[in-house]
Amino acid sequence: MTFNPTRRQVLVGGASLATIVALGGVHPAFAGADRAKITVRVEKDLSNLDPANRSGPIDLNVIWSVQQGLISFKPGSTEWELDAAEELEQVSDTEIRFKLRSGLAFTGGYGDLTAEDVKFSFERFIKPDAEGKPVTYAKDWSSLDRVEVTAPLEGRIILKNPAPALYTIALADGSGRIVSKKAFEALGKDIATKLIGSGPYVLKEWTPREQFVLEINPDYKGPIKAHFHQIVGKPIGEQKTAEIAFKSGEIDFTAIDPENGKSLAALPDASITEIPAIDYVWFGPNIEKAPFDDIRVRQAIRYAVDIDAILQGAYSGLYPRADALLAPSLLGHWKDAPVHARDLEKAQALLAEAGHADGFKTKLTIEANARYEAIAQIIQANLAEVGIEVEIEALESAAYWALGENDASKDLELSLIKFNGKFDPGFQTQWFTSAQVGQWNWQRWKNADFDALHEKGGVTVDPAEREKIYIEAQKLLDESAAFIWITHNLNAFASRKWLKPGVLPNGNNWLYTAFTQATA
Amino acid sequence: MQAFIALSRRPGGTFAMLAVTLLCLVAIAAPLIAPYAPNAIAPANRLMEPSWQHLLGTDHLGRDILSRLIYGARVALGISLSVIAISLSTGVALGIAAALSPRAIDLAVVGVFDIVTSFPSIILALALVAVFGPGLGNVVLLVSIVFIPHFGRVARAQTIAIRNSPFIEAEKVLGAETWRVVLHHVTPNIIGPIFVLACMDIPVVITIEAGLSFLGLGVRPPLASWGNLLNDGYTYLDQSVWLATFSGLALVLATLGFALLGEALRDTLDPKLRKAL
Repeated sequence: MTFNPTRRQVLVGGASLATIVALGGVHPAFAGADRAKITVRVEKDLSNLDPANRSGPIDLNVIWSVQQGLISFKPGSTEWELDAAEELEQVSDTEIRFKLRSGLAFTGGYGDLTAEDVKFSFERFIKPDAEGKPVTYAKDWSSLDRVEVTAPLEGRIILKNPAPALYTIALADGSGRIVSKKAFEALGKDIATKLIGSGPYVLKEWTPREQFVLEINPDYKGPIKAHFHQIVGKPIGEQKTAEIAFKSGEIDFTAIDPENGKSLAALPDASITEIPAIDYVWFGPNIEKAPFDDIRVRQAIRYAVDIDAILQGAYSGLYPRADALLAPSLLGHWKDAPVHARDLEKAQALLAEAGHADGFKTKLTIEANARYEAIAQIIQANLAEVGIEVEIEALESAAYWALGENDASKDLELSLIKFNGKFDPGFQTQWFTSAQVGQWNWQRWKNADFDALHEKGGVTVDPAEREKIYIEAQKLLDESAAFIWITHNLNAFASRKWLKPGVLPNGNNWLYTAFTQATA
Repeated sequence: MQAFIALSRRPGGTFAMLAVTLLCLVAIAAPLIAPYAPNAIAPANRLMEPSWQHLLGTDHLGRDILSRLIYGARVALGISLSVIAISLSTGVALGIAAALSPRAIDLAVVGVFDIVTSFPSIILALALVAVFGPGLGNVVLLVSIVFIPHFGRVARAQTIAIRNSPFIEAEKVLGAETWRVVLHHVTPNIIGPIFVLACMDIPVVITIEAGLSFLGLGVRPPLASWGNLLNDGYTYLDQSVWLATFSGLALVLATLGFALLGEALRDTLDPKLRKAL
């Protein structure tokens, strides 16, 4: 039997084949599962891949997958596990001994990973760079005195003072990544764009503003296994655009607005993950400026603002309320923190007592985005009820964050702020110290007792004692009435059903090595 | 009266008159007809669908959409009429002055008009507001600057066309001062086409204001502007389509109404077109 297709049959067949291929390309429901590769959306492009000068979590997440540390975070946890180190021992409050695994090697022919590389990587943070400036993350290693190399694969980290936060702030984090001394010396400034490491992935490609590609490092001999052959990161700034890209199957994983979780969960191949965050969103006055230098005015504002209405209106009622600086999952969380309920009578009485019975005019500065505009409008409406007329000043991101430079915050009146959290409470308290006035302490609140507690918390080793210290510090923040906490945020992610994302509890940091195939 | 009858006979004329009249009435009577205070927030009622309680639903802060659209009409009309008034009066004054001035001054004024009009209106408005800051006052002032050349060029061309007319010459011979000639003879004779142009520019101004407000560079919250409403609607589109739909419809109704009215007016006032029709 012979098969002699007619011209029409060929055309119909060809068109059908093309349709099937096209559908497979545009919708995941039709696509053959390419489980060796995942595509994730990142909010912005990579910027600086030097761990000491990285620009934020987008860079760090890539650095983590390419460079090893002595230790690394466990997936989904604030606890750590051994990575490049075979042994790690806290010998005393100021000494940590380490022994590296043998056979670990840097990519690009830069040789084995040795204790000399560890010494070089960590001591960079306490020495000025080639231009005589400290590296961006110098503070992470401020307690470091020196690293002593005792054998090719062994050494001792000597600290100037006890530093219990060192494990989460530096060693397991970006500042604890081990760079190749040889590569650093050979590449010079290019170290910011060429990522050399000894970790599970290599940065195979980075096309600015388009994508980066991580591929499994065939020579990797460490303990942390990667699960996907290739991870592609696509920078998509707009959340809505990212959600459309997810719906169309262009990406397999993205952070989303929790409000849109329900509609995305309705997709046949989507899974939504929600993780309470450790960020802190608050607003407060610049207490150096009248009338906010009067605590009664600050207390009046706190009584006048309806935080629950903000959570309902600006956060769809999905986000948890914050009553203190430290989130519930952190050491030092103040679970008995007072919940300041709205009380307009008290607010008016306090304003009258402070000589502002008729209210006053002020300005609320926010970063321009829909959520903060919604918060600002609720605050505006709430304060209008006690006679305080609020003008909203919405600044573009760059202009807004520039307020942290050159003492620009001195002109602020009210400001709405969101800071990202880290796993050690000392990271959070540092921004409210007197030394930060003119930088990130936009309320310009100075309190010597708070400063002392922050310092003490940084060198106290006993966790129970540290907890007490940080709760005391938060009480001082509360007494000042300069900080009106709103939420610790909520992270939400959409991923394919077959994908289990490797997100750390802060939501901002992802371990690409911990992205795995979900089990049924 | 004849003009109104003629207008209503033009294609779209009746719709245009109805839409513009409705818009003006809504804007004027806003405090009387809005069912709720436009800025009254009620987060517990956020993103409600249309109901008897809230005829067009509520926005993300629980504000009544209908009330905000009604007050938004005030903002749209207020800004567009203010802009047209400022740019028309300034443009006409500059245009007439240029036409009646020595050549060097005329060229200088025309040069400035050319520079301003060489930028697309929305881009220039965006740039000016970005430099001088958002807010109601700034939007009116800066958008007015963008529109001055529109009126200035027409006024100048019309004035040049009639400046040597016998009736003007006669006035001059009789010893009339320039201001008198301009006020009593030039202006009345050139205002027709400028009035039509003003009518056709109103929807453009409404669109520019809405565009600026949509981008966060126009009217500041909590003042209800259709651009702000559209932006809020876009932001929460996944959760509710009502705000985006109704604010978009309001914009379409207003711009279409004024655009059709302008065209109908032009056709009615232009003797050649009137004859043809």
